[in-house]
Amino acid sequence: MLAAVAAGDTAACNELVRRHQGAVWRTCRALTASDQAAEDAMQETFLAACRGAAGWRGEGSVRAWLLGLARRQAARTWRRRKGEPVAPVPLHELGSLAGWGRMEDPEAFVEALQDRRRLWAAMDRLAPADREVIVLRDLEQLTGPEAAQALGIDLSALKSRLHRARLRLMAELQADLRHD
Amino acid sequence: MTEPERRPEPRLVGGLWCTDVLACLDDYVAGTLSPELAAQARAHLAGCDWCARFGGRYAATVRAVRERLGAEEAPPEVSRRILARLGRER
Ligand SMILES: [Zn+2]
Repeated sequence: MLAAVAAGDTAACNELVRRHQGAVWRTCRALTASDQAAEDAMQETFLAACRGAAGWRGEGSVRAWLLGLARRQAARTWRRRKGEPVAPVPLHELGSLAGWGRMEDPEAFVEALQDRRRLWAAMDRLAPADREVIVLRDLEQLTGPEAAQALGIDLSALKSRLHRARLRLMAELQADLRHD
Repeated sequence: MTEPERRPEPRLVGGLWCTDVLACLDDYVAGTLSPELAAQARAHLAGCDWCARFGGRYAATVRAVRERLGAEEAPPEVSRRILARLGRER
């Protein structure tokens, strides 16, 4: 199909959008934390994909390639914002923030997980670097090597980033519960 | 964040400390631990309610992101506008 896209076939380009718009939308929405910025990034992603399909080397999946493009487009919106310095926090402290050893109602946490808006809100509060690793691995289910390639890091860095990002997401959900 | 909370101390159960279990929870959930370490982790989780509860939440969080957020589709008007723009600009 990408060969047809590269040859300027409009129907093939539309098909590419139809097949992958969900994944690209979710990725852009999660990375930009804004509906408008997500739509802009999504448009640029598909424009770049349809124009640049000839540049695809046939390595890995089309989806991984598109999500890599989406990530680059979305990253343009955060570079304009102030960067958050992320101090390295020991893992056991992250675990505590994420709720290890807490006595309070375990049901409330599980209920919060069922609430999509709450889950998005917690995602939106994460640093972009945490969000993108969760998006590529847990949300879009790219393989470890695909996600590592999209992020330009090695597998072991990806793995530790993912584990810490999940703990930070749990910490955001916990913090949210305490405000109820 | 007002008052310091009392937290349980990490403990040694099944040959692993709570902090060891925390460090390998990702592999435990993914099923990618070595068989020996997986057996130790299982023994720890069976004997440590703190880690059992936390491990359950960790797994539930990973699942919720996949199932709840992963089910979301692009809004129809967003995909209409994209197809319109692609038709104009490429
Ligand atoms: Zn424990």
